[in-house]
Amino acid sequence: MTREEQVKAVGMKAGARVVGIAPVEAFRAKVPEGHRPEDILPGARSVVVAGGDGPTAGAWRCPDHRVMEITGYDLRENVAVHAMCDFIEGTLSHRAIQAPSLPVHGHEPPMSMMHAAELAGLGTRSLAAHIILNPEYGLLYYAALITTLPLEPDQPLAEPACPHPGCAAMYKRIGTTPCLRVCPACLAGTVQDGRIQTSTYDREKCHSRAQTYGIGSFQKGLLQIVNEDDRERRRTMIYSDFFTKSIQSLGFFRDSIAQCFECMRVCPVGRKYRKLQ
Amino acid sequence: MADLPPGSAAKLKSVALESGATVCGVADATAFDAYAPEKHRPGDLLPGARSVVVVGGAQPREGDWAATSPWVMQTMGTTERIQGVGRRLAQYIESEFGYYALYVPPGTASGDTPFLSLMLAAELAGLGSRSLAGPVLNREHGFMYWSAVITTAPFEADGVETSPACPAPACREMWDRERTTPCLATCPGSNGGCLSGKLENGRAVRTFYDAARCNTRVHTHWVGGFQKVLEETLNEPDRDKRKMLLYGDFFTRSLWAITYSSTNIAQCFECMRVCPAAHGLREMR
Repeated sequence: MTREEQVKAVGMKAGARVVGIAPVEAFRAKVPEGHRPEDILPGARSVVVAGGDGPTAGAWRCPDHRVMEITGYDLRENVAVHAMCDFIEGTLSHRAIQAPSLPVHGHEPPMSMMHAAELAGLGTRSLAAHIILNPEYGLLYYAALITTLPLEPDQPLAEPACPHPGCAAMYKRIGTTPCLRVCPACLAGTVQDGRIQTSTYDREKCHSRAQTYGIGSFQKGLLQIVNEDDRERRRTMIYSDFFTKSIQSLGFFRDSIAQCFECMRVCPVGRKYRKLQ
Repeated sequence: MADLPPGSAAKLKSVALESGATVCGVADATAFDAYAPEKHRPGDLLPGARSVVVVGGAQPREGDWAATSPWVMQTMGTTERIQGVGRRLAQYIESEFGYYALYVPPGTASGDTPFLSLMLAAELAGLGSRSLAGPVLNREHGFMYWSAVITTAPFEADGVETSPACPAPACREMWDRERTTPCLATCPGSNGGCLSGKLENGRAVRTFYDAARCNTRVHTHWVGGFQKVLEETLNEPDRDKRKMLLYGDFFTRSLWAITYSSTNIAQCFECMRVCPAAHGLREMR
């Protein structure tokens, strides 16, 4: 077993659905200074990316929308990354850290997990909110590690996962795709010769729908409460379902629980894994 | 089990135990119909539901119960470890058996109403029975936390536990002697507590439970505590007092609890602390 295979096996055993490797040099072309792997870990040589499952097929079928709105995902990709870090430091004697991915300014993370997944050959950007789609499994959640260990990298995918042949055919027929049609408010794009030609994504609008309960709603509710002069109205606002769920979301929803999944609900990539008995 | 390979339920249970569960059982999805209100039955959450797989574990260790500092259990007891097992099982059922699986969210749909009662699920899966104090107790391991997965897979259901852990023999003796039990004595509803009950023909019968009062004690430092201090702070005209409220131990601990524990971190365990059945059958040195 090669070192690359060993590292990937550790990640898969810890719960990752897919693992890929990108060389640090690949980030230089599109990533601004200060956000590259070697800016975060001096001497970095490789980035190992793990993709973990999102909602189960059963969760997608649930008629109660609140289930997916509050269900915490497995987030095993983070566990897989830590298991691989431990293996790299403990067995292969090279430094390894989890790549920081939570926003530090606005929506901006220190390092983009989406870009890392692309460079590690795990998926490509889609018309649907530019979400990275794995050609086999569709929607996955990504975490990465940065290491000083030189590893043979995987190649970015030669064929994009989006548009799916069915979507390309739909676009040819009626000029739209399932995701563009289900959310014309957030998404726009064109397809030509079976490839994405243009793609526009209104992140601010999407964020206000996908993260109805989260840090933003807590801040919004708190500001309204602080600005409310009437004592009784303040009380009602503090103990309301909206504010209570927003507080719960700070602890429970963590960083990636969403309250809108519509563009992914209609996406055919990886759907075969959602058709069960 | 016509549609599943032989031994599927045993394999699933073995994976559950390897993943960190202490116990695992299966309930028939239709068994909920007699007890759970509409919209809170397995089929309401997953169309075509056939089984509910329940795992129990992540309970306080005997060392936690024996710790002299109340802060040990007040700050460390969480349900998160067993929820991780539930999530894993849902993924496992889909990938290994090819049936839909829905991890039951441990949070509430609204107010205090759960999507599906995990305690009922544990009972129907044969993993335990309700105690006089309220929690479902497993006969061998006692008090534990629960997680459940609803699935369309027709796993063979386990039978409901026929011999309840509560009342324990020691509690029956105490009842005969004093007309009370350890849990009723430690938190009497007639004297500012949450519980009232009796033993009838050797069986526990709970006659009163003040859920709202219990909630304010069990979740002293949590979402409710945060809301309470926020309201008091905004109503406080004095700037320095406001500062004290926000930097006070109470508010600080509430923030720690919210961010540390997703759905459940408790600050009162007294009815379970004194319960002989809650501590399981294994003697510790």
